[in-house]
Amino acid sequence: MSNERIEFDAVVVGAGLAGSAAAMVMAREGLNVALIERGGKPGAKNYFGGAIYTHAIADVLPDYKERKPPFERPVTEAGFWFLSETGLTRMTVQGGALDTDPVDAYITLRAKFDEWWAEQAREAGAFLIPKTTVVDFIRGEDGAVLGVITDRPKGEVYAPVVIVCEGVNNLLTQKLGLIDRDLEPAQMALAFKQVIALDPKIINSRFGFSGEDQGLAVSVLGDVSLGLPGMGFVYTNKGSISVGLGVMLDVLAEYRLRPYDILQRYLQHPAIAPLVEGGQLLEYGAHLIPEGGYSAMPKLYTDGAMIAGDAAAMVNALHWEGTNMAIIAGKLAAETAIEAHSRGDFSQRVTSRYEDRLKEGFILKDLKQYRGFSRFLETHPQFMDVYPNFVNDAIGQFFTAYGKPKKELFKGMLGGLTDRRSLIKATGDIISMARSVLGW
Amino acid sequence: MTARRFWVYIEQEQGEAHPVSWELIGVARTLAAQVQDEAAEAGDEVIVEGVLLGSDVRGIAEEAIKYGADNVYLMDDPVLEHYRNCPYYQSIAALAQKHKPEVFLIGATTLGRDLAGAVATSLRTGLTADCTQLEMGEAKGATKKLLLATRPAWGGNIMATIVCRRHQPQMSSVRPRVFPAPPYQADAKGTIVEEEIGTTEEGARCSILEFIQGKEDTVDIEYSDVIVTGGRGIGGPEGFTLIESLAEAMGGVVGSSRPCVDAGWIDYSHQVGQSGKTVRPRVYIAAGVSGALQHKVGMQNSDFIIAINTDPNAPIFEVADVGIVGDLFEVIPAMIAEINTRKEARA
Amino acid sequence: MFHALVAVKQVPDTTNIRIDPETGNLVREGVPAIMNPYDAHALAAAVEWKHKLNGRITVLSMGPPSFTATIREAIEMGADRGILVSSRKLAGADTLATSYVLAEVIKAVHAEDPIDLVFFGKQAIDGDTAQVGPGVAVRMDLPIVTYAVNIRAVDLDDDTVVIERKTERWTEVVEVPLPALLTCEKEIADIPYAPLPDLIASLKYEPEVWTEAGPVEFDTGQIGVRGSPTVVFKMGTPPLPEAGEKVNAREVGAQAALDLTFAKAEEAGVLSEMLGGTA
Repeated sequence: MSNERIEFDAVVVGAGLAGSAAAMVMAREGLNVALIERGGKPGAKNYFGGAIYTHAIADVLPDYKERKPPFERPVTEAGFWFLSETGLTRMTVQGGALDTDPVDAYITLRAKFDEWWAEQAREAGAFLIPKTTVVDFIRGEDGAVLGVITDRPKGEVYAPVVIVCEGVNNLLTQKLGLIDRDLEPAQMALAFKQVIALDPKIINSRFGFSGEDQGLAVSVLGDVSLGLPGMGFVYTNKGSISVGLGVMLDVLAEYRLRPYDILQRYLQHPAIAPLVEGGQLLEYGAHLIPEGGYSAMPKLYTDGAMIAGDAAAMVNALHWEGTNMAIIAGKLAAETAIEAHSRGDFSQRVTSRYEDRLKEGFILKDLKQYRGFSRFLETHPQFMDVYPNFVNDAIGQFFTAYGKPKKELFKGMLGGLTDRRSLIKATGDIISMARSVLGW
Repeated sequence: MTARRFWVYIEQEQGEAHPVSWELIGVARTLAAQVQDEAAEAGDEVIVEGVLLGSDVRGIAEEAIKYGADNVYLMDDPVLEHYRNCPYYQSIAALAQKHKPEVFLIGATTLGRDLAGAVATSLRTGLTADCTQLEMGEAKGATKKLLLATRPAWGGNIMATIVCRRHQPQMSSVRPRVFPAPPYQADAKGTIVEEEIGTTEEGARCSILEFIQGKEDTVDIEYSDVIVTGGRGIGGPEGFTLIESLAEAMGGVVGSSRPCVDAGWIDYSHQVGQSGKTVRPRVYIAAGVSGALQHKVGMQNSDFIIAINTDPNAPIFEVADVGIVGDLFEVIPAMIAEINTRKEARA
Repeated sequence: MFHALVAVKQVPDTTNIRIDPETGNLVREGVPAIMNPYDAHALAAAVEWKHKLNGRITVLSMGPPSFTATIREAIEMGADRGILVSSRKLAGADTLATSYVLAEVIKAVHAEDPIDLVFFGKQAIDGDTAQVGPGVAVRMDLPIVTYAVNIRAVDLDDDTVVIERKTERWTEVVEVPLPALLTCEKEIADIPYAPLPDLIASLKYEPEVWTEAGPVEFDTGQIGVRGSPTVVFKMGTPPLPEAGEKVNAREVGAQAALDLTFAKAEEAGVLSEMLGGTA
């Protein structure tokens, strides 16, 4: 093999949602891009609930529909389920605001999707290098990033600009000096799920779909996580269901809970078990999600480098948005890299323009707005047990209290709440919740 | 009258015959019996013959006759003293061209596998490897019965039966211990025909410089009457100490499932299964073995199988004569104690 | 200069087999395709000697277009040239027809660029026959060493190679003249982590594709189904064994479980073996 230097116009670390977006955008502009992925295939190391929001895909790839993305079902029903110990209250929306064209969100399986997404980057001209891990940076005398060092022999790749989309284990972000410590367990959630195979017709009948062009995405609150800060989810794929939940890592550690046990309990809940009855377990997996929000974000750029996606803690925990932020951030980092090339300047003078671009859009605004939500559930455990139980009981009573004077019924329903939490405190909770969501 | 010859390669190394040779003579006898009627009608003679190569090995030819060979071709020459691919395959191929056998069986040992493919290619005929069932059967369009050679495919889940319609000899290799050895009959009679080898030392194109004996931890488990096998459930290489204690108490040897060998806990020579050894001991104990198909095909013909596993749904229980659901670290010490108690009671 | 040719095959990863619980059949979808592990180690050994003797390596594979991925893997591991022999007419080949095609190709390569050593893995993990290597050796009249675990020395002046081969009972050290063919055990070499330039070269590499019509013209009577003496007569599932008795030691205690075990052993006539042959 020759001893020439391996050189590109740009290197992207990680062929996930942010990375392939960045590579795609730069390659289209004629840059020679290396997209370096540590997994055997893009998507091999990625896992989520979950649903992809099409606005972000369209922003980077306007003709995405013609390229046949491997989506599962469209989200035609979305909302919340409240789980009490034995009961379930569903609050979902069908049609109405969800009835858009194009569809807002599609339920997706990451292994297939990420592979397709990276393939779009390759078609745009990016050079995908799989099975290779970036472990450090090549630095100039002034400390500027001049490229990356991989774990392979003769593994240096030179490039004047590097976009780091390494995901939640942000070791490279630390090496860049953009953050001085690992994310703390209190800033991370562990999400775990099972994908259970079922005949599509059975899924249709159990969830009330008229066909395979309908699908459900719900967040599940309440008895899911044994009263501890966490949120469950259910997503219907074409021929399988993704059922899982996320719990804050520090809580898992403190209570010494095993994800597998919590998940099993959830799956055996009398309202959940019939949904997955008779299905075959296809896979079980887990992934960390950075949920520290705005306060956990590292600095986003330095001389010769920028970071995007989970590596930059770009996740809105309440709305389960991380993938769309990753895609758009990847695009904005790429545009900044293109600007750097045209100006011949890769220093912070130009890479800082990345943050400007982010501020113009929704990403930083939302992250700032929701910065309080991350800790909200932890400091307000009643949202995990009292309120879901109350909702279940109250509605249950409402529909079974025939023959009773209605005055007594409503008294009984209210009593169901005030037995557990005083009215004043409950009102205060609602206000706090509104505050954390509206960002006051 | 034609002679329908059923050939068996008699394997020997350093003057010792490999027992698989006798097992295959037994098989050849069965095959010969299956075409007896057909042959009688056509006025053909059916004959089971051994093919033996070596130096100073006439005694083995005589043994072959006691196990059931009607005749043994003996090629005895110093060039053939140690097995080498070229002189062996060339001599055998020349012999086959001369006598035109109908069926040729070779044991699937490392020697056999080195030899069989070379012989089959030289004769431009078909060879089916690692057969577990052999019979002479009717095949559409064939004027006489053909060798139906069945072997496990895809991890043992599918059994594929192969035929070789238009080429002879129809060749098959068989692993040791798949078939039982036929009885030894001290008064059996037969002939030994000495044949010239077709090659010289120069033609051998191989010099054996050295023999290095195997390390202490390699062992030949195939012909032991008792095998105690450890699987992944033993937890680590130290687990084999317990397995070894039970094997010792029973006068047997230690076997292993594939994952333990792959993990480096024990040498490959202990591996039982499709990519290891096939065994058929009197007693087979599987401890901490899940019983995947690839393992089962290597031991399911054991006379008495005991399985110990904490998982009541482990597939190994499907082949066990006695299945013990429990922790091997409790059951095995108890079993050793029980064995010692019973031994003492008998003493 | 040293020239080695390595035969490689793409196989399904048979260690990751799933059985369909309803039909009892193999699930073939989603089983990853890999380079036959024995071929990979053989190639790694060839690459070691390529570096020691400053040589080059040609890899050869016979199969459908999907085998291109395996040839690229070989380039990643250090091969210089990759030939894929691919054509529908070659399909359905048994080991005899396969050894014919491979031997013809190797002879053609050898005629233009003499080969010192031909490497094969000891067997493919899907067929497990171990027949093609010896078959090619016979057709090319090459000395063959099977079950090779170490190449001790290669002498290009004297045209000899010294190889250690492992049998069940011992290891033989043999010397054979070059050119020669060997089939390899995994121990013969470790597979190193490829340098980045080699990986990049492999990602861009397009193998040479040879068909039955050229550059070498094959005898149609010896290829594919026509050239295969053996054919599948029938397929079936093995009969299910009858399960014996199961006892839960955790419920009834170890002693009760053992009592049952020895009672059954006595019934089966193996009590004396259970007690170490004492009776």
